[in-house]
Amino acid sequence: MMTWTKARRAVIALVALTAVYVLAAEIGHGRLPERLWLGAHYVDNVKLLPTWRQLTEEGAFLIESNILVDSVVVSTRRVTLGLLLGSVAGILLGLLTGAASRLEALADPWVAFFRFTPALALLPLFVVWFGYGESSKILLIAANVAVVTFLGAHQGVRGVSRVYLDAAASLGAEGWLRFRKVVLPAAFPSIFSSLRVAAGLAWVTIVVAELVNAQMPSLGYLLALSGAYPRTPTMMIALATIGALVLVFDLLALLLYAWGTRWMERAA
Amino acid sequence: MISLLALIGVYTLAARLLSRPDILPPTEEIGRAFGALLGRGVQLGGGGEGGEHAHHQHHSASQQMDTLLQEGVTLQGALAITTGRVLFGLGVGLPLGILLGLLMGASRRADDYLHPIYTVARSVPPLAFITYIMLWLGHSEAHRLIPIVYAVAVTMVIPTYHGARDVAGKYVEAARALGARGPLLLFQILLPAAGPAMLGGLRYALAIAWMTAVGAEMLMAENGMGNLLVGGGMWSSRFQTRSDPAVIIVGILALAAVGWAMDAGAKVLGARLTRWARR
Repeated sequence: MMTWTKARRAVIALVALTAVYVLAAEIGHGRLPERLWLGAHYVDNVKLLPTWRQLTEEGAFLIESNILVDSVVVSTRRVTLGLLLGSVAGILLGLLTGAASRLEALADPWVAFFRFTPALALLPLFVVWFGYGESSKILLIAANVAVVTFLGAHQGVRGVSRVYLDAAASLGAEGWLRFRKVVLPAAFPSIFSSLRVAAGLAWVTIVVAELVNAQMPSLGYLLALSGAYPRTPTMMIALATIGALVLVFDLLALLLYAWGTRWMERAA
Repeated sequence: MISLLALIGVYTLAARLLSRPDILPPTEEIGRAFGALLGRGVQLGGGGEGGEHAHHQHHSASQQMDTLLQEGVTLQGALAITTGRVLFGLGVGLPLGILLGLLMGASRRADDYLHPIYTVARSVPPLAFITYIMLWLGHSEAHRLIPIVYAVAVTMVIPTYHGARDVAGKYVEAARALGARGPLLLFQILLPAAGPAMLGGLRYALAIAWMTAVGAEMLMAENGMGNLLVGGGMWSSRFQTRSDPAVIIVGILALAAVGWAMDAGAKVLGARLTRWARR
């Protein structure tokens, strides 16, 4: 009953949002300026608010010409690889430094340094180190993801309640067994919520990484290209596609989180 | 402290072993770049003959440094501009995000209607629509500031929402039963109760604000830290000139230092504002 109301209201809100846009675009059609001054020169025929028809036409073209699908595949591949690489490295290091206090002193300066470095600031450095190609993009994502997941794993292990550890010890669980059966599950919520943050960050990173020295095909290039002409229907569709992908990744991260914290419900 | 010195030591050693100043510039060169960027007028001389291949030949006074010095860019100047943008983003974005978060946290009806819209809006990365804003508002400060404001606001909604709904809910109910309403309810009950969650969000929003500001400046600005990192000039010519890793490393270090200072400030502020929670 409650969820039914909730779902109905969600649908109403989203339909209203779409309706407002479509209406605004129809009203703006022919009224909004189409000739814009872009700092250095005029551009003609700019549709500030593309109408529904323009959007569907452009969408059909982008899909038929395979541009959109190829871009999605390329960008998603980069994000996925970066996420995998970064989270494996970050989580392993975080678990290690969290569990072995002697390693923590070693890791401290790196954490202090990278924690407050804006993720994107590394981009020019990575271009110098790894070139313009695929590796600098993937490694940039991996580096940013690694920092976030490292902190999540480290804090997760550190935050394991003393009670759990004592209980495990009194039952005779030591070393690897204690780590696998007690510490790791207790750290899961922190690890997986950091993974969710990292997934969002990865998409922010790829958009900028692909805007710089853009290459075909990628969603960043699609955005850069549509901005250069400028061709707003393409821009809108690229934005919507990125948004949809972010939502999908967020949902996957949420599912992972739910899986990692199953034990909490059993315990409760 | 010792480990920080160790970090510098490890770096110096690695740079020496690799001896490729175009990839890992020696520590002295980073120090010199730092001095030059502070506007001391130090000319970068000597060093940097390590590149074996012709196309790796490293200009000791690099192209990036030349451009920056020619344009009169200093580290402190760039840092001040970026800090200003970050502060503007926080100043406008925080109240917006907090307002939306409180609204959604306090009213189930508002939550049902607004949450789906928020989810859609949140999923679009702020730096992706920077060009679109430029079409509407032209080349101006606006398309650098709006993404920062947007990023901060969007980040702030969730912690405020959870603070208001999950933590403050009980207190609000109790206070209502005792007859509290209006501003009293808002300032004495809801905000203090949601405070700790919001301050946690603030620290996260700070990081996001810095990242968005630097990103926006990298893409489209002719000043600020992001511009310093990619070496001056405008968007189309970016990354054509050879970047100087020493300049980039100095920039990253400066950003890390300011980020650390701001986070420490937020932490102190947070401890002071949420004293009640520990009583």
